[in-house]
Amino acid sequence: MGTYLARRLLLGLLTLVAITFIVYGLARNMPGTPLTVQLGESDPSRKLNPEDQERMQRIYGLDRPWPEGYVRWLGNVLRGDLGRSLSRKQPVTTLIRERIGPTLLVSGTAFLLAWTLAIPLGLFASARSGRPEERALSLLLYVLYSFPTFVAALFLQIIFAVRLQGTAWGLPLFGMTDLPPDAGTAARALDVARHAVLPIVCQTYVSLAYDSRFIKANMEEAVRQDYIRTARAKGAGPARVLVHHAFRNTLIPLVTLLGLSLPGLIGGSVIIEQIFTWPGMGRLFFESIRERDYPTIMGLTLLFSLLTLAGQLLADLLYCVVDPRVSVE
Amino acid sequence: MSETPSRGFWAEAWARLVRKPLAVGALCFVGLLAAVAVLAPAIAGTKPVLCRYKGRIYAPCLGYFHRSLEPAIFARDRFRGTYPQNLRDKDPESWAIWPLVFQDPYRAVRENEWPGRPANPAKGDGHPNRLNLFGTDQYGVDVFAKMVHGTTIALLVGVVSMGLAATIGILVGAAGGYFGGWVDMLSSRVTEVVMCVPPLVLILAFIAILEKPTIWHTMAILGATGWTGIARLTRGEFLRLRQSEFVMAARAAGAGPLRIILRHVLPNALAPVLVPVTFGIASAILAETSLSFLGFGPPPPSASWGSLLNDARSNLSMWWLVVFPGTAIFLTVLAYNLVGEGLQEATDPRLREARK
Repeated sequence: MGTYLARRLLLGLLTLVAITFIVYGLARNMPGTPLTVQLGESDPSRKLNPEDQERMQRIYGLDRPWPEGYVRWLGNVLRGDLGRSLSRKQPVTTLIRERIGPTLLVSGTAFLLAWTLAIPLGLFASARSGRPEERALSLLLYVLYSFPTFVAALFLQIIFAVRLQGTAWGLPLFGMTDLPPDAGTAARALDVARHAVLPIVCQTYVSLAYDSRFIKANMEEAVRQDYIRTARAKGAGPARVLVHHAFRNTLIPLVTLLGLSLPGLIGGSVIIEQIFTWPGMGRLFFESIRERDYPTIMGLTLLFSLLTLAGQLLADLLYCVVDPRVSVE
Repeated sequence: MSETPSRGFWAEAWARLVRKPLAVGALCFVGLLAAVAVLAPAIAGTKPVLCRYKGRIYAPCLGYFHRSLEPAIFARDRFRGTYPQNLRDKDPESWAIWPLVFQDPYRAVRENEWPGRPANPAKGDGHPNRLNLFGTDQYGVDVFAKMVHGTTIALLVGVVSMGLAATIGILVGAAGGYFGGWVDMLSSRVTEVVMCVPPLVLILAFIAILEKPTIWHTMAILGATGWTGIARLTRGEFLRLRQSEFVMAARAAGAGPLRIILRHVLPNALAPVLVPVTFGIASAILAETSLSFLGFGPPPPSASWGSLLNDARSNLSMWWLVVFPGTAIFLTVLAYNLVGEGLQEATDPRLREARK
């Protein structure tokens, strides 16, 4: 177990270095620098004169070749310093801390909703396997699963934010809140909740469709096993067989899926947050690429990769916890 | 070749696939899309499919595929892209076969460009009507024409990027699975590293370094990042098959490793690999449309479905800008997923036994 963990951690560390190195190289080779992209786009007259630009480049270390910059960045990270955002003049850690709440609000709610609905739906589908109601449900879930989120988001925006605007069903088009910062807590919470409905719906339906199909597929595998026949033969009721004997045995792949959804939970969805201009992590990443904000790009890349790796490791470790038959060699 | 046992397998898989109505429907839809993609300039355009001009026959519609394919004589005679009037004025003897719908994917049709027809409505007045089946966008460009020409892009993205991904994946997986040892060690680690990268991070970073990304860049990037699943599957299949008797027999007969891999193992490993490739086409199309939707697609004159949706974002009251391209993306993704699922059930013996 110890050597296995050590090997995984070492491999993970190497992977992290490789990913951040590649992304750093890519980021530094994107056309434009944070200085030119940001100022030049908003107002050509505010373009820096060459001397100023050179001075600023020196301050930010942009005059050095990028491998040197990478080593410096890596050194700072090892000391726990992710650097300061070039375009927002704030430490990257502060930015991430600010954005993680809104992302979790949407992705966390969507995650809980999806799983509380997916488990009963998956169980229902496998209990009624082959009957018309199951066929209809499965087809519906399949259609939902193939429905692109950004298309769904636009459809929902047209219905609820444009067509139904002004009625009781109208919902805000985008943003997180329209209220001034001094509004009361209750009014604020309600307003944020109204803004969060569409993003949450968009994020929920995809995982709901995926998760329940996943559960059903695993259940179909499980109900064919011999122990299910044994359970039926000893007189266990159909519900008990389904939940206690079949479903419990599908927990292993389920746990893997939980581990793998960790990065999405904190990283958020770039597209959904971009459509609804939701101030979360995904949007921060998108904006930082646009603004060539190297420290933020790197901070987020590091975080996302770390989460992906941690999710995979977690999935593998949970595997052993849930199923004593599995052991890591 | 006609006596290989794999032929029987494929024929049987095909027979099973054809029995599933959903998969057949999806396959027909994909076929229809392919036909639309190839025939796009003949379906919607403002350039004649075939025309006789000054005694010779030309096909100006090929110009929609690539600029250089448009016959040079029309540029010399200053047609400037408007054919009906010019053809009549400059050669009264000329005749032309026109596309089914006289609309251009890149510009608005002007008044009387086609005798007696009004100009395309613009700025939100272009509700779907008889002349503009799917309406017009902000600038009066016909949405139907844009979508028909966008089909080419959507299908190309799916096929080219997955072709690339399948090539890389099969090569890496086959090498690792067949040779084992340090080759396997190396290829597995590389696959693992690429797998750990959040895909959107890498794709966005790659696209952002290009000054002027074209659709081919997008395809290359999607292909270069989407091969890991295929590699893992191929490796598994090769690990399983390299122990089998027929490989042993081939080796005993003196076949080299390359010949064994290509002629003996690969055909037997192809069926399970084909399934993720089909699903991959769906996700590649989805990825390209999302990228274009985010504004990271090819530059404006191209008619990607995703960039149509991107235009729609600032004009949400023009519902037809969302509904038609959105439905097209959805149906295409759904069709490829259904074909993939049908293939999986037709080729995987384990799933076959499950049917009671």
